Amino acid sequence: MASSGWELAVNESGVLKGHEGAVLAVRFNGDGNYCLTCGKDRTLRLWNPHRGIHIKTYKSHAREVRDVHVTTDNAKLVSCGGDRQLFYWDVSSGRVIRKFRGHDSEVNSVKFNEYNAVVVSAGYDRSVRAFDCRSQSTEPIQIIDTFQDSVMSVHLTKTEIIAGCVDGTVRTFDIRMGRELVDQLGHPVNCISLSNDANCVLASCLDSTLRLLDRSTGELLQEYKGHKCKSYKMDCCLTNTDAHVVSGSEDGFIYFWDLVDASIVSSFRAHSSVVTSVSYHPKDVCMLTSSVDGTIKVWRK
Amino acid sequence: MHQFGPDPWICGLVRIQPQKIRNPFRVTKLYPKPVSSKRTNGQLTKQRSFLFFFPVVSSLPSSISPIFALVASAPICTVSSPLSMADVDEEDYVYFGTPIEREEEISSRKRKAIAEPGTLRSLPPWKQEVTDEEGRRRFHGAFTGGYSAGYYNTVGSKEGWTPQTFTSSRKNRAEVKKQNIYSFLDEDDLKDIGGNTLETSMQYDTFGFTAAEFARKKAEEEQKKRPSAIPGPAPDEIVLPASSSIGMRLLMKMGWRQGHSIKDSNAESLSEIRREARKAFMALSSNKAEPDISEKDADGTDEFPDMSIDVLRNSENTPVYVLNPKQDMYGLGYDPFKHAPEFRDSKRLRESKSRETKRSKVHMGSLLSSNSKKYAPGFGIGALEELDAEDEDIYASGFDYEQTEVELEPSKAVSSSSGDRMLQLEHKKRGSLLGFKLASDSDYKLERFYPPAIPSNFRPIHKFGAPLDQTLKNYNSVPPPDAPPPENTNLRLLIEGSAAMVARCGKSIEDLYMEKSKTNPLFLFLKSGAEGYDYYVRKLWENKQKFVDNLKPAEKLTAENRGRILGERPLASTTSRVNDVSVKAREVINTQSSHGDTVTKPISLADLPDSAIKQFKHDPAKQERFELFLKEKYQGGLRASGTRSSTSTSTMSEADRARERLDFEAAAEAIEKGKQTIQISAPSTDHTKDLLGFGEDRFVSSTLIENSETKLEETNVVYPKREQFEWRPSPILCKRFDLIDPYMGKPPPVPRPRSKMDSLIFLPEIFKSSNKEDAKSPIGNSLEASKSGLKEAEAEPSASEADVAPTSPKNVERPVDLYKAIFSDDSDDDEADAGPALNQALNPVKSSEGANKTLNRLVAGDFLESLGKELGLEVPPGSIPGPSLNANTVSLPEEQKSCKGGDDRDNTPFPKVKETKSKDYGSTVDSSREKKRSHSKHHRRRSRTPDLDPDSGSDSDSHRRHRSRSKKRHDRRDRSRSRDSESSDEAYMNRKERRKKHHSRHHEHKKKDYGDKYSDKKRRS
Repeated sequence: MASSGWELAVNESGVLKGHEGAVLAVRFNGDGNYCLTCGKDRTLRLWNPHRGIHIKTYKSHAREVRDVHVTTDNAKLVSCGGDRQLFYWDVSSGRVIRKFRGHDSEVNSVKFNEYNAVVVSAGYDRSVRAFDCRSQSTEPIQIIDTFQDSVMSVHLTKTEIIAGCVDGTVRTFDIRMGRELVDQLGHPVNCISLSNDANCVLASCLDSTLRLLDRSTGELLQEYKGHKCKSYKMDCCLTNTDAHVVSGSEDGFIYFWDLVDASIVSSFRAHSSVVTSVSYHPKDVCMLTSSVDGTIKVWRK
Repeated sequence: MHQFGPDPWICGLVRIQPQKIRNPFRVTKLYPKPVSSKRTNGQLTKQRSFLFFFPVVSSLPSSISPIFALVASAPICTVSSPLSMADVDEEDYVYFGTPIEREEEISSRKRKAIAEPGTLRSLPPWKQEVTDEEGRRRFHGAFTGGYSAGYYNTVGSKEGWTPQTFTSSRKNRAEVKKQNIYSFLDEDDLKDIGGNTLETSMQYDTFGFTAAEFARKKAEEEQKKRPSAIPGPAPDEIVLPASSSIGMRLLMKMGWRQGHSIKDSNAESLSEIRREARKAFMALSSNKAEPDISEKDADGTDEFPDMSIDVLRNSENTPVYVLNPKQDMYGLGYDPFKHAPEFRDSKRLRESKSRETKRSKVHMGSLLSSNSKKYAPGFGIGALEELDAEDEDIYASGFDYEQTEVELEPSKAVSSSSGDRMLQLEHKKRGSLLGFKLASDSDYKLERFYPPAIPSNFRPIHKFGAPLDQTLKNYNSVPPPDAPPPENTNLRLLIEGSAAMVARCGKSIEDLYMEKSKTNPLFLFLKSGAEGYDYYVRKLWENKQKFVDNLKPAEKLTAENRGRILGERPLASTTSRVNDVSVKAREVINTQSSHGDTVTKPISLADLPDSAIKQFKHDPAKQERFELFLKEKYQGGLRASGTRSSTSTSTMSEADRARERLDFEAAAEAIEKGKQTIQISAPSTDHTKDLLGFGEDRFVSSTLIENSETKLEETNVVYPKREQFEWRPSPILCKRFDLIDPYMGKPPPVPRPRSKMDSLIFLPEIFKSSNKEDAKSPIGNSLEASKSGLKEAEAEPSASEADVAPTSPKNVERPVDLYKAIFSDDSDDDEADAGPALNQALNPVKSSEGANKTLNRLVAGDFLESLGKELGLEVPPGSIPGPSLNANTVSLPEEQKSCKGGDDRDNTPFPKVKETKSKDYGSTVDSSREKKRSHSKHHRRRSRTPDLDPDSGSDSDSHRRHRSRSKKRHDRRDRSRSRDSESSDEAYMNRKERRKKHHSRHHEHKKKDYGDKYSDKKRRS
């Protein structure tokens, strides 16, 4: 099925080494020139994955770092993790500008909004919280606590907050409409990812299934199976062309599915251990994967 | 000699050198000086005299002269005329004024100052003294810090010349500053004044004086006309002391008389006067008197000296000040000839010439002949002035007369103005400027673009080859036969997926699939006749239908449709439709193809089984209303939403009506559903099944589903399921997202009492939504996993007791304890927090199947009735049609609001708050405990993330955490909105029951599972 002409980032082109212990997340920045990783060693690292250069290390977290996001202007970072706080960093100086408190327990995911003015975080405390970057206050400006279980992943569009929760729901909070849309998937949602056109949401469920939902109708468009995802927090994403679905697997494999017919286009062993995170370049055929084995790998066509 | 006695005021003569008064107009300054007594010829005469300075400034602009001419024109009437200079002996001069100081005296200081530098030069610089020309020390250097002129080297005072700001406030009124003459004098001036005060004198007010004089003259003229006893000129003049301006007096003394223009015998001054006159003449050339002058003037210069006097005598007064009337069309102040003054003259000449044409006829001949065409006829200059080489020429600026001569041909000159016009006309005619010629052939050609030729067979109406509507209609009209899904689940899913894609993206995708089908046997179903083809066709149609339905409102977007899409609440036509909003909202939200909702298939009531319609047999009145409702609902296939309210009778309260309507809606929905309805509407143990099933689906865990083998047919809940709720973003969040707050300006949600009835009443809705989901979802049977989970849940009751027993040994209690559970005190809540007591208080409710059954019985029986009575609500004694769980979440925004509202329950106006509350607490605690379980699972899942620490995963740790967590949740639970707490307590309890069993069982399972993993992991690491 790989004959369909799609270019897939299946060839390893580089390994980024530096993290001690598991790497929990890897994220491209907005234009795909840099990437950020975070992990068990309580550090954030900034890399140039294309040249394989480690640029900077950000140390301040007291516990593991689970997620990181960078502003569109690459000036600020926000990271979260086990210490129940969000760290708001200055990229160039490497200093923590502010720490946002409010979560009662570990924070799983964090994102900036479009204008880099708000940080939205999802935590194990069954809540999604929004913090204002522009004010001095470290208290949340909005708490969404309709979740019934740990919120694993959060995504933002221009007008919505989308969060996947272990209670088996993907919830969309439409700020413009003042509505909450709850899509019950019936299975704990591990990670959500938006398609590049933002019309679909890909939800990785703990029944080893990825589910693609139409966001406007809530309709299940496709299910992708074959990988193993039962207990670890793992990322999934769509490729830059939205033609394929990518996910890691607990056995260290990477799986590519055809978006439409859900067939496995490619699968290969990428890491020796659980693939915790995948991040696809916004434009090019380039992918980053991170693993518990402490490595980050760069994949190209 | 002095016949009249020398009045010192008038009879004195000023001895002034003739040179100095040669031009009396050039007075620039009159400087008053008090004059001390002077001794002349041994006589002491105390006189007040003036010292006149007449600095001769020969190059003053001539424009000044008219003014002084005016001064001079004022008549002076004094008696000084008898004095004549000739009579007075040199010795007998009486001196007016201070004699001019001798040069030595004046400049003694100055000389000193001049001299000193010479001496000072020898001094070192710091000892040298800087003085002004008056010899005063005026140095104000930065280092000496000493002397300054004026105010710090500016003007004399602090206020003088410095721009002042005017500030005036209500409190601090600015004073009106009065300026007087002293504020303009510096200290030197003041010193000079001495003790005298300054006054204004008419004498020097030439203009004011002139005005007064004019008035006097006027009066005199009147006097003349009037018959008077005393003949002759005005007696006033004799009587009144005449005063005249000093300039006039001076002129008089010089021989000037009133009514005469000032004239000197000197030729120079004469020419000057002539020039003035000429200018005046130019401006006032229409003056009748002038031709005479010009004639005389033009005659010759031989008799000039005498002539001039004559002329001046004849001209009473020199025309003084000539205002140039504005005659052109230029803007004010605009001077077109600013940079070319020569043309101004030529222009003016042309104009004046046209004016003069008549007049010039008189002497044109002579002029023309005498000037030998040197000057064009009709020149203003020619009228006044003859050619004189030495005479300074006003046109001396280099104007070339030859040019004008060319222009003004004698033939044309006759009617030059018309000639001008002719010329202009000619220019216009030629379309070019003067001096330009039209080109005979030009490169520029106007290009024209002609419209394209329209083919003869063109029709201005476009027809679409295959109209979209029609294809859509085809889909509507000819539904392919419903095909059973293929056995193979994968195939079915594939078919559904591809059908959806094809419906969405069009034929091209289908072709793509076709391509694929060549290589991939999976896509064989695309070929007609293959397995699954029928199903595919059917699915495709369905999807397209859906697509069309989605399209429709876009095509015909009426206000109503739009409102519905946007989730707006329609305007309530009557107040009775309280809950119509929620119903609407549910309709919109719940149904995927909700846009087709307005048109429903007409259902003939007769077709329906009796049991379906007669759902409210126990209450005939209600039954009647229900039937009416049904009729209205399906009136002509179109739902008449406006008339629905008429079903309610006036005796019912608003809330009752609303609830009943919801009941009806649910029942009607159920009827539509056909056979399912019957089951649902049957108020039997099926309820519990549904409830259990539903409770299950919310908390299904993946492992459960995977492990389950059995199937449950009826109560499968299909995923994904979409629900919609109200959510209130904080204003600051909206601001930060750059969005408009959807709830801007609206008050916070009104807290609504959460009575027990609310949850009961809205039960029917639930069925509807869930059933709809069943019917509609394209992947209806796909999720065996969930089904199996549910099935398991259903199968559980029998096994539950065994399962539950070990975890909660004390839970077997009497069913009567339900009451206790529901109406337990707050103290129980406290106990719940306290720990062990919790189990005792709550276990009966949550775990015993007996209690469950009792509950059902009670629901069916009179328990609710009694409760309803207690609450003051009307409760149907019999069946509660089809309870299910998610209705309140869907249909009750207000309900949600109330939940969101936090602790608002305390504010409830309803009387039975306490019961509700306590019961809620009961269930809440319950749920929290339940949560704890589910969480323990999730927690493990969470802690199984790669960051897992060996110790954090330990059971004791997690237990500890969960304990605290459960407590926390318990607290939060009350505050926070949660669907569970909204839903019916009974259902909730049922669910809990189920849940618990589930988890207790799978707990074990998972534990083992994870245990393996742990060990695995440890080994690996």
